[in-house]
Amino acid sequence: MFENILNAVAAGLIIGCIYGLMCIGLGLIFGIMKVVNFAQGELLMLGMYVSLYLVAGFTAIGFLGPYAAPFVAALIAGPVLFGGGALLHRFVLRHVSGLSTASRQDEGGFGQLIVTLGISLILQNGGLILFGSTPESVLTPLSASAFILGPFPTGALLFLNKAQVFAAVVAIVVAVVLWLVMERTTLGKALRAAADNPVAATYMGIDVDRAYRIAFGLGAAITAIAGGLMATYLSFTPFVGLDYVIIMYSGVVLGGMGSILGAFWGGLLVGFVQQASTLVLPPQLQNAAIFVVFLLIVGLRPQGLFGRSAERA
Amino acid sequence: MLEVQDLSVSYGGLRALQGVTLRVAAGQFVTVVGPNGAGKTTLFKTISGVVSPASGTVQWDGASLLKRPSSARAHLGIAHVPEGRQVFRTLTVQENLEMGAYPRAGRSQWARTLDRIHALFPILKERADQLAGTLSGGEQQMLAIGRGLACAPRLLMLDEPSMGLAPAVAETIFDRIAQIHKEDGLAILLVEQRVAEALELSDHGYVLDTGRMVLEGGYQTLLADDRVRRSYLGLGEA
Ligand SMILES: Nc1ncnc2c1ncn2[C@@H]1O[C@H](COP(=O)(O)OP(=O)(O)OP(=O)(O)O)[C@@H](O)[C@H]1O
Ligand SMILES: [Mg+2]
Repeated sequence: MFENILNAVAAGLIIGCIYGLMCIGLGLIFGIMKVVNFAQGELLMLGMYVSLYLVAGFTAIGFLGPYAAPFVAALIAGPVLFGGGALLHRFVLRHVSGLSTASRQDEGGFGQLIVTLGISLILQNGGLILFGSTPESVLTPLSASAFILGPFPTGALLFLNKAQVFAAVVAIVVAVVLWLVMERTTLGKALRAAADNPVAATYMGIDVDRAYRIAFGLGAAITAIAGGLMATYLSFTPFVGLDYVIIMYSGVVLGGMGSILGAFWGGLLVGFVQQASTLVLPPQLQNAAIFVVFLLIVGLRPQGLFGRSAERA
Repeated sequence: MLEVQDLSVSYGGLRALQGVTLRVAAGQFVTVVGPNGAGKTTLFKTISGVVSPASGTVQWDGASLLKRPSSARAHLGIAHVPEGRQVFRTLTVQENLEMGAYPRAGRSQWARTLDRIHALFPILKERADQLAGTLSGGEQQMLAIGRGLACAPRLLMLDEPSMGLAPAVAETIFDRIAQIHKEDGLAILLVEQRVAEALELSDHGYVLDTGRMVLEGGYQTLLADDRVRRSYLGLGEA
């Protein structure tokens, strides 16, 4: 029993880090653009397929060997989806968000709902046509091997899937780098200023439309990297986004909408709950467990676990 | 330097500005006064490119501003300190000032302008790491002005900087504005409801009423005008 708990807790923390990164992508888009992006799951899916094709199709990456290649490919999926996200914003989303809709009564919310749902459906079905429905995964020898730690008291052994451990490390590094960019660089501060008060940001000389494009691209890139990392230890189809969009929303709301650190901790918590629930619940009820915890926390702390207030008390 | 010619603006069907003409020369202090809803904020927003005019021109250094995106103003040396302060509430005081210095001129002169801003408003140095949303109204106004100065502008546009402030704080703000004008040689375009204080500081004043410029002139001319005395100063006939 102790061994089961130990392994579930460890797996929860490791998978939680990857979920945390995935949630940051969504949290960034919501936090800066105030757009509820229903297509975020498909950005995750695209990250997985970009990674898959990079590893399979390019000897340049294959050259890195079966160990490093999948992780390098996951990182390259970031810039690829940054470009894709920026284009999506330039040609579609900017018409239903940002300054162009700020004066409308619903601030473009209905338009965003329909547009992002539409993008989600197009990407799912487009993916089906392009990639097929056969489950894929980015194979690495690490996927099927584990670090074995212990024995712990009562002789318990801790098994850590190597692919998941490396994916979690990469996820943490990417999250820290993004956090530093947002907190310390002029670009990050300008993005936060554009989120805080777009009109005042314009008065400061910040091109708010461009800031939103960068934010959407970054949000897509971050979730795509998380997708590429997940592809090393699970199998996926073009509909994989549906399974994860709920997790992303729970994480972001739990973290307190729009704070990067919050989104990470929210995602970590969701991953932890999901894995811990396997101790007592059948796997089909994992998402139900997430929802129960979600409702509990949102009921007790509507501002999210890590939401902070910049208003005068 | 700044030339607004025959400017008209409508919101839907409603005329907010009608044939407004105004000039600010380099280093000049110009004030626009007028009752609520006269169109003062609309004038500022049009100069800043946030609102598009129905007709008329806005020129800066002889070139049309209306064709430029609104975010270009700060880079050209025009700082807009908006009505209601509009500080970045979730950013710290220091980060607000850094965002003011976003244009290239602001970045290259950052060390000098930051010293200057801290000399004018020492509280901004004390509160550097505090979130701007938690500052008092007066402190937020000082931050808004400091943030405007941070881009090293040639023209500082101030929309009702004394709004909602206690008289003593408002007086400090006016003193600082006068100081900025005198010592830094900055051109100032000020919108105010505190007509007496504002006109006293300025080289030239305009009176805007329901979208039209009804009067312009120097301090003496405006103070001598019966309409100004009665409507804005609460004084009797001259
Ligand atoms: N976004 C808007 N849509 C419709 N009407 C507007 C809008 N903004 C301003 N107006 C109208 O335009 C007129 C001028 O408004 P403006 O804010 O420019 O006045 P103001 O002189 O700045 O007033 P105050 O001294 O109260 O700040 C008002 O009648 C106002 O109702
Ligand atoms: Mg106004």
